[in-house]
Amino acid sequence: MRKGIWQEFDGYQDIAEEIKVSRKLGGTVSCAVTSAEEYIRQLHPERIELSVTDIIEETPSTKTLRLVSKDNYLPPFLAGQYIALFLEIGGIRTSRPYSISSQPNQTGFYDITVRRVDNGLVSNYLLDEVKRGDTLVSSGPSGNFYFNPLINKKTMVCIAGGSGITPFMSMIREIIECGLDRRVYVFYGNKTMDDIIFGSEFKRIAERFDNIHYIPVVEEPSGGYAGACGFITRDLMKEVLENIEDKSFFICGPQGLYDFCLPQVEVMGVPRRKIKQEMYGAPPNIWEYPGWPDTISKDDVFNVKVKNGKQMEACAGEPLLVALEKNDMVVPSLCRSGECSMCRVKILSGKVYQPPGVPVRKSDRQFGYVHSCMAYPIEDLEILL
Amino acid sequence: MQAYDAVVIGAGNGGLTAAATLAQKGLSVMLLERHNIPGGAATSFCRGRFEFEVALHQLSGLGTPEKPGLLRMELDKLGVMEDLEFVEISDLYNVVTPDGFRITLKTDRDETLAVLKDAFPHEKDAIQKYFDLVASYANDMIGAFIFRDPEPSREKYPNLYKYALQNSKEILDQYFSDPLLKAVLSVFWGYIGVPPTRLAFAYLAMVLFQYMEFKPFHIKGGSQALSNAILNKFLSNGGTARFSCGAKKIIAQDGKIKGVVTDDDVEISTDYVVSNASPLSTYNHLMNPEQVPEDALVEMKSRNLSTSALTMFIGFDCEPDELGITESTNFLMDSTDISNGLLERMNRLDIDDELMVLSCYDVSDPGFSPPGTCQANVVTLKYGEPWLRIPPRQYHDVKFRCAESMLKRIEEIYPGSRDHIEEIEVGTPLTHMRYLGHPLGAIYGYEMLTKDSLFFQPSRYSAFQGLFFAGGWAGDNGFEPTLRSGISAAKSIIRRLGAG
Repeated sequence: MRKGIWQEFDGYQDIAEEIKVSRKLGGTVSCAVTSAEEYIRQLHPERIELSVTDIIEETPSTKTLRLVSKDNYLPPFLAGQYIALFLEIGGIRTSRPYSISSQPNQTGFYDITVRRVDNGLVSNYLLDEVKRGDTLVSSGPSGNFYFNPLINKKTMVCIAGGSGITPFMSMIREIIECGLDRRVYVFYGNKTMDDIIFGSEFKRIAERFDNIHYIPVVEEPSGGYAGACGFITRDLMKEVLENIEDKSFFICGPQGLYDFCLPQVEVMGVPRRKIKQEMYGAPPNIWEYPGWPDTISKDDVFNVKVKNGKQMEACAGEPLLVALEKNDMVVPSLCRSGECSMCRVKILSGKVYQPPGVPVRKSDRQFGYVHSCMAYPIEDLEILL
Repeated sequence: MQAYDAVVIGAGNGGLTAAATLAQKGLSVMLLERHNIPGGAATSFCRGRFEFEVALHQLSGLGTPEKPGLLRMELDKLGVMEDLEFVEISDLYNVVTPDGFRITLKTDRDETLAVLKDAFPHEKDAIQKYFDLVASYANDMIGAFIFRDPEPSREKYPNLYKYALQNSKEILDQYFSDPLLKAVLSVFWGYIGVPPTRLAFAYLAMVLFQYMEFKPFHIKGGSQALSNAILNKFLSNGGTARFSCGAKKIIAQDGKIKGVVTDDDVEISTDYVVSNASPLSTYNHLMNPEQVPEDALVEMKSRNLSTSALTMFIGFDCEPDELGITESTNFLMDSTDISNGLLERMNRLDIDDELMVLSCYDVSDPGFSPPGTCQANVVTLKYGEPWLRIPPRQYHDVKFRCAESMLKRIEEIYPGSRDHIEEIEVGTPLTHMRYLGHPLGAIYGYEMLTKDSLFFQPSRYSAFQGLFFAGGWAGDNGFEPTLRSGISAAKSIIRRLGAG
């Protein structure tokens, strides 16, 4: 110990004695440090190695991949959360988030349910290439789209479009299997009847359980369909829901669903705090978004120079993150929807387009940081990873 | 092999200021951070339309341009002040109890004295004497330590010699008899992390004095703005930073630092390392513990890990005054116990009558959250160890259960607030451990028992030539001390390099 005037302070002798004793006996420092790290890994592993043990065809364009952990341990999650798969496809290392469609009480496997996206690099790979017995690597469960008992009402109104149904499937399976005290109305919109995922399971559940209500809505119905047609409108919702006061609204699906349904819900008088919205990846048509510069076409190509790194070409209509991945520059990513900020990079020069509503920290904006999964080059750029 | 004058491991407050100070002197510096963003605890995260401040409640040591505190002078030298905007917080703190007691102490000393004397007329004289004691203690401390009196003595600094090592509760007991008053005057124990029974009066007196003298501040854009500004200065002075890439190994030979290996196996040769990580991970994980001198290991093992915290981040869909929140810093007090009973509370999972602090930044900075909204950061101190006893599958349930108890307390004091919650996020000791990498989520590093207080710490010095510590593990905790610790570590290196 250093020498100093404190050795003359009142009470110093007692303190000196305490120091002596604690050096002899040790404090709490040595205890439980490794076990604490192990505990964190059980909740939030960096990576999980998964085996594909089953592939279930849900619809002509959708399959469920059943994933078992290679070390027989899967971390717990909240129904509605997702995992990101980390893949290398055709030499491109990338990632994709998928909501877990199985229920949290199913501890043996995670299901992810994948729908084909036109020209979708990853969805096509998962649907066409991946076989039983293959290995996939994922993140730990993540995301904020779940029932929060602190603020959500026990009656949930779930509005889903297309593959946006998957988080709700997890929630509903948990509710019925664990006997949770909750009531659910699922409004599920699809273009055609062929697109409906989990249709027969929902029907069966709704028939057996009074607290689960299933309302499919089909835009272009075909023979013998007796359910609701068109879009999920407020009239339809009003007809089914007795009131809105004791309900929390959850919405998950493609951008078109938000564009149409959010205003419907708001017009019904549901306050913003009662509406929870899941993110759904980068939009396929970013150039049609408000604020997109008139002078820029989606196919315009710009130079991107990574400081102390590569130079590459990037397409205006494609997120910066994707351009980086195509050029073998791996930036950490997770949600790929602008929210988690993992793929944050600094723009040193040049401009990017960022769609409205991407949550970027105020001071990140001040210092030129963007979330590269939701930033589109509209000038030549220099960036710092 | 890459070579740098210095490598800084960790971009928390201490790592950032160390790196920026070194780069400013023209040294070549590599800053490694395993997270993807600088700041450590000095950060923020977004949920919905809110950006939540993680750690900063009241920034101390800033003062005004006319009467600058030490921190302002240091930040000024780093050249980051023009990138930042600070907002003075007018209240020192507000104490509220569920039975309707409410007292707001302002940063103005006379105003606070008047308010206290008015609320506790039976303790009028004692209050005056206590504040005089705090002032004269602080003057002694400044004379002896800040101005580094070469010949200090008991005659010159009687209060320092008498009171510095005494525990705060003893002194409060000597001065006052009203338990509520004692509890009101000791709430800042929460900022140090040890209850008044174990808290050296040196700390309680200086925290109170500091905030009154140099005022508490809030940063526009939150603490992330400060972290970003310091990093930006570091980069523009030629520093190299790597994010999402930590250090795997510090190489030492014959007691001297030789280099660092990064997570992705890049070897860097350097003679100087500033570790913003805990000595625990530095000595045990980054170095070979067998190389570490016995004395350093004994010293390390003799200490306790500080408490962690249960934190709630709440976004409300209305302005603070609609909720009845009128001050920035609010201590929600349900018990006037300032004894070791506080330790029992910190050591249990459940929440009953724990002291909680609710900071609402929007009160002093109305633009902090989006128009028509506000946010609250609510903290109660909890040790990390009990959380390891929860089976992982029950973790979420326990987290919600604890948060529920906190929400009930908030609702008691601010009725109706619950119906305005738009976003809510809960951070447990395990969350702090996950993001900070601190063993057991110890937010304050080592526990600040008197025996481990400022007088007796090894501070930035390590057992290796060329290795220095910065941040909360290297001394006192909180924003001001950690920011300044990095500068001290950097100065030690600059002196040794003769680059001053």
